Amino acid sequence: MANLFSNFKSVMYKNYGENPGKMLVHTGVLGWILSAMAQVSAVVFNDKISKEQKSFLIPQEIADAAINIVSYYVITSSFKNLASKLVSTGKLSTSKIRNYIKSKKVNPAEYIGKLNTNIEKDFPEIKGDYKAFKNGVDVVASTVGSIISCNIVTPILRNEYAAQKQKEAILRMHGKRQKNENNDVKGLKQPSKLSMDNYIRIASMKYPSSGLKV
Amino acid sequence: MVLYSIKSSILNAPLCARAAVSMRSIKQKGLDMIPNAQFSNEKFLYHLKDIGKNFSSDKQRLALGVTALATQPFIDAHNKRVDEETRKVSVARTVAKIIAGTLTGFLIRYGCIKSIKAFSQIPGKGVPKYKTIFTPKGVKDNTTDAFDQYRNAMGTVVALGIMVFTNFLIDAPLTKFLTNTFVKHQKMEDKK
Repeated sequence: MANLFSNFKSVMYKNYGENPGKMLVHTGVLGWILSAMAQVSAVVFNDKISKEQKSFLIPQEIADAAINIVSYYVITSSFKNLASKLVSTGKLSTSKIRNYIKSKKVNPAEYIGKLNTNIEKDFPEIKGDYKAFKNGVDVVASTVGSIISCNIVTPILRNEYAAQKQKEAILRMHGKRQKNENNDVKGLKQPSKLSMDNYIRIASMKYPSSGLKV
Repeated sequence: MVLYSIKSSILNAPLCARAAVSMRSIKQKGLDMIPNAQFSNEKFLYHLKDIGKNFSSDKQRLALGVTALATQPFIDAHNKRVDEETRKVSVARTVAKIIAGTLTGFLIRYGCIKSIKAFSQIPGKGVPKYKTIFTPKGVKDNTTDAFDQYRNAMGTVVALGIMVFTNFLIDAPLTKFLTNTFVKHQKMEDKK
């Protein structure tokens, strides 16, 4: 156990010690996963929700979590990776770094902005300045990406998804009501699984702003 | 070994090699479309470097919360797929959720990062063992940027573990309380 913890600390130090942007993306994803697990378990272990309602709500919670996690990861890591690439190829740079490259008699037109270019590897002498600049750009890109993902894209996607699910449920309930009416005629009554009132009550609490972000 | 040879034979196949070349050329064209930018303003660079060094997850959570207040209620208020009453409740709940989530998220992250700092000292004379519990093996200097980033990352992970519980114990009841308060206030405003 102690060994496992020691290894965990070493992994954290090696992976995130020099890469704060990556740390923000990864811990952000972990945050969404943990809050999704909390949301799903809140439904699973809630005695006040019937078994039938659970069978309806649990897949929805999982789908909702998938939207949150995937959109967060895809958008935030894309922003971060693009920013990293722009800095490592010299597209985004400081005068100090650019002047240093020029002083090494490198033709900027053939070097800057090429996919093979990697300033950190090619010029280890300016690693300090380069790293400080890159970390700043990475953190800004990760934060902008997470703001766009969490505050704009995810709420819109979630509203779309919620509206779609609500429409399907209403259609299903209409179909069921029709079926029940037919059965009533024959003297047989089917137990209703999810009433409209129940659905609206659950939906108003859950949509359009579901998922407590930790 | 077998898997490696299968992987390399697939990657070296003419079709795969051609696809990789095409992909590379598309990426290069995309990169060429972005203009070069060079920063020389010392003040701007100082702040950018400072952000890279000191902007930890607690501050990111705060930034997310503040910007969320500016965007999410607006998105919910313009959701034409639900009726006006539901829209009002959902805006109130969204605002309540953002306030509760940001407050707890920021404070717990901040507290955990500070605590990890206290418990990740370098082992030595006069340093109790419990104060080195979060120090990685073999690290001799805790004043480097890399070590600061490690403390931020470890503090964030510990905070996330704690927040699994506070999500239910603090966020959920606080969100419910604030939602009810906002809805009550809104109804009183509507009556006027």
